[in-house]
Amino acid sequence: MKKRNLTSTALAVVVVGSIGLTGCSAGAGSSGGESGGSGDSTGTLIVYTNSNSDGRGEWITAQAEEAGLDIEIVGLGGADLANRIVAEKNNPVGDVVFGLNNMYFETLKAEEAITAYEPEWAGEVDQESGDPKDGAFWPLVEQAIVTVYDTNKISESDAPSDTSDLWNDSKWDGRYEVNTALGQATPQLILAGLLTQHLDEDGDLGVSDKGWEEVEKYFAHGSPAVEGTDLYARITRDEVDFGVLPSSGIAARDAEYGTKTGVIAPEVGVPYVTEQISVIAGTSKQDRAEEFIDWFGSAEVQGEFAKEFSAYPVNEEARAQALPEVIELIDSLDKQDIDYNLVRENIAAWVEKTELEYLP
Amino acid sequence: MRNSSLRTMFRSPLVLVVLVVLLWFIATFLLFPNINLLVSTFFPGGEFSARAVEKLFSSERAMKSLFNSFLLAISLAVTVNVVGIFIVLVTKYFQIRGSRVLWLGYATTLIYGGIVLAAGYNFIYGRYGFITNAVRNVWPEVDPNWFSGFFAVLLVMTFATTTNHMLFLSSSLAKIDYQTIEAARNMGASTWKILWKIVLPALRPMIFAVTVLTFLTGLGALTAPLVIGGADFQTIAPMIVTFSKSASSRDLAALLAIILGLATIILLAVMNRVEKSGVYFSVAKVATPLKKQRIQNRAANVVVHVVAYLLFIVYATPVLLIVLFSFVDSTAVLTGSITLSSFTLDNYATVFGSPAVLRPFIVSIVYSALAALIVVGGLLFVARVIQKYRNPVTSVLEYLLHIPWILPTILIALALVMTFDRPNPLIGGQVLTGTTVLLLVAYIIVKIPFTLRLLKAAFASIPDSLEDAARILGAKSLFTFRRVLFPLVIPTAAAITALNFNSLLDDYDAAVFLYHPLYEPLGIAIKASTEGESNLDSMSITFVYTVLLMIIMGLTMYLVYGRSGGTTRRRKGRNVTPDAVANDPAAAAAVANTK
Repeated sequence: MKKRNLTSTALAVVVVGSIGLTGCSAGAGSSGGESGGSGDSTGTLIVYTNSNSDGRGEWITAQAEEAGLDIEIVGLGGADLANRIVAEKNNPVGDVVFGLNNMYFETLKAEEAITAYEPEWAGEVDQESGDPKDGAFWPLVEQAIVTVYDTNKISESDAPSDTSDLWNDSKWDGRYEVNTALGQATPQLILAGLLTQHLDEDGDLGVSDKGWEEVEKYFAHGSPAVEGTDLYARITRDEVDFGVLPSSGIAARDAEYGTKTGVIAPEVGVPYVTEQISVIAGTSKQDRAEEFIDWFGSAEVQGEFAKEFSAYPVNEEARAQALPEVIELIDSLDKQDIDYNLVRENIAAWVEKTELEYLP
Repeated sequence: MRNSSLRTMFRSPLVLVVLVVLLWFIATFLLFPNINLLVSTFFPGGEFSARAVEKLFSSERAMKSLFNSFLLAISLAVTVNVVGIFIVLVTKYFQIRGSRVLWLGYATTLIYGGIVLAAGYNFIYGRYGFITNAVRNVWPEVDPNWFSGFFAVLLVMTFATTTNHMLFLSSSLAKIDYQTIEAARNMGASTWKILWKIVLPALRPMIFAVTVLTFLTGLGALTAPLVIGGADFQTIAPMIVTFSKSASSRDLAALLAIILGLATIILLAVMNRVEKSGVYFSVAKVATPLKKQRIQNRAANVVVHVVAYLLFIVYATPVLLIVLFSFVDSTAVLTGSITLSSFTLDNYATVFGSPAVLRPFIVSIVYSALAALIVVGGLLFVARVIQKYRNPVTSVLEYLLHIPWILPTILIALALVMTFDRPNPLIGGQVLTGTTVLLLVAYIIVKIPFTLRLLKAAFASIPDSLEDAARILGAKSLFTFRRVLFPLVIPTAAAITALNFNSLLDDYDAAVFLYHPLYEPLGIAIKASTEGESNLDSMSITFVYTVLLMIIMGLTMYLVYGRSGGTTRRRKGRNVTPDAVANDPAAAAAVANTK
């Protein structure tokens, strides 16, 4: 009795499994296997992105389908996605990549994992935001990385005028959140924003001692982010007063937590990230990849996207359709001058040094 | 061991086939890709670089984190054994009122873990947890951050990692020859003495196996220290994750992982040596199922009952909370002010509202089931060969099979992508990068060491005489394996399959680099739905997915344990463990004898 029961269970699992396997290998045969080498120019266009959350991925897929483009979104976090594209470069799986910031695109370019293509809308965007030298990648939307607080708790006049006051003024000791997950994009940009203010060719890793001191103090006096707990939840329960956030996240949080966000606008400006788009080198669907880029970056689609997801498009014609509060916020913040090529060359070493010496 | 010589080993055709397949697999999927990666990591430009060693040893933070990881691993090896053996004894050995309910409570760790588990504990004992609040209402001077640091991490991880004890130690316990216990009692031995002199020694191979696993879990601890470790107790795993994602720091990640892996292998070697010095055939030759023992001393009986139920509460509350929280508005959960109006079905609506929500579940179930079955099925033969023939060849093979423990999953995955992105003669000139097969290969690889350790421990408790009897009676080796040995290890094998299946379901680390774009697995889907700058409900959505996963995993465990348990009870009319009967050695011996 007993034994038969177990055997039948095991049998059932094996049967189900092998059905699955045939399904899988059929899939491998038709899309993976053949596109493995080259030549398969039909089939779904694989779009790699880190910008598919909050319903963006579904929206883009649906809009693309209306425009007659058959795409499949593969969404991964920034660092993971860049690593995956580099690892796959001898046998690329994706056809197009968008959403990563300049830093990651500089890496992809240096690894020869993307190829230059000048889109139809090239004239409508500021070349400086992309890759003015080689045109390997092209800008889509911009975001500011800002230090925020709740004006219900701290009035604008009491708030520090410069972010460095947070770690230089004992008043704010332990009252601002620092993100220690340096493998992720935003914490890396914050670090880059700090260190590029203190560049010094003779200093360690091209940064002056003063710069490293700032980093040390920044982490020493901050309150490490809590995995799984949103910054605004911590602000609401009075654990911290300040924290860093990409500007596109503010509106939703004010609505959810009843906060009224204020932003620190330092004199040097704040780091901006520009999400880019490019064709993945070695794709077998070059024509359709280009078609997708021409469509997605166009003023019309970018305008719709901006309206839907409170984004700030680089495309000047599309910018008119961005939400007024988004335009107002971005206009109020100066762009910090960051040389992303230099950051790309150094960020890994900077992260390593910070991780080994300065994290709490 | 007399039959351990190489010559005997090579005489059996079955063993030869197993060895050839094994050698091919090790060379192709374990050695070749990882050596490739390690060479390019430690020999940039063809020359060895000691950079990683210098960097790490001069970093105070790295050394402290490393120390913490070891401290945690060693402490866990002790505490998990204490708690684990206790819960196994109260559910399977002693007569405890309501032991089946207790078992269900303790078994909750089978179906959840990671960030959700740590968060669950944090919601109870953490700074804003309700126990902390309740205590502070009475004694306001209590530090609200009391539940943090080493002590908190150790506590959470102790209760989170008794899974292996629950499954494997229970099944070993069920195999103990009850007549030895009866004999000892007739000679006047006390409850305590029987436990100490007969029961625990018989469990030693399995205790060794689960101790190694616990040690490894402690070394690799990632989420519990992140969530409740605080500034004083951070471990090395987060640093390994950060470094393995950066091409230029990968040598540091690899070096750290190798240090942890080697420590585990050394422990393994010590355990192997200790195990070799004893004989632990514990399978009863006459089927007298284990009868639950009364605790004679009244006071001791009361104490054991109280502790058992206290533990039950500790185990069960986080799970109940997570189910509850999946129905609560996330803001209310995070700000700690839950009222009746906070209850909502929105979280479920969000998960089920997204298109094709079921597809990732199916993809992950197929991958996990295939990987779990293949790895257990294959290693059944390998574990037997390694356990039976102890010689230098099998020792080397055994250690090579532990390579997946030495490297973090992220590096194994990257090594596979980069190795199989061109036609490879070892696999018949196929390209695997970009196909659906590669993720399956990775899943099989990462589950090898765990499966091997437990299967080997299961085989260790089978006396050679059974196999000899079958052979003398003329059974072929494959037949002997199928009809004599296989039935004896099937409970353990089924449990390992279920655990492997459960743990692969929501994998992220391997999938992130290897998944085929058209077959998105669950871990990726969960991550995607919980990330996003304007997505504030991430914790609640994680809870919803956890509840859904609990249902699938619960069903898996039911298929393996519950159903068979039911039929046994009906048939035998008494409350014995399902394993005891599933593993009916007398029947197996009878089969051998009739041939």
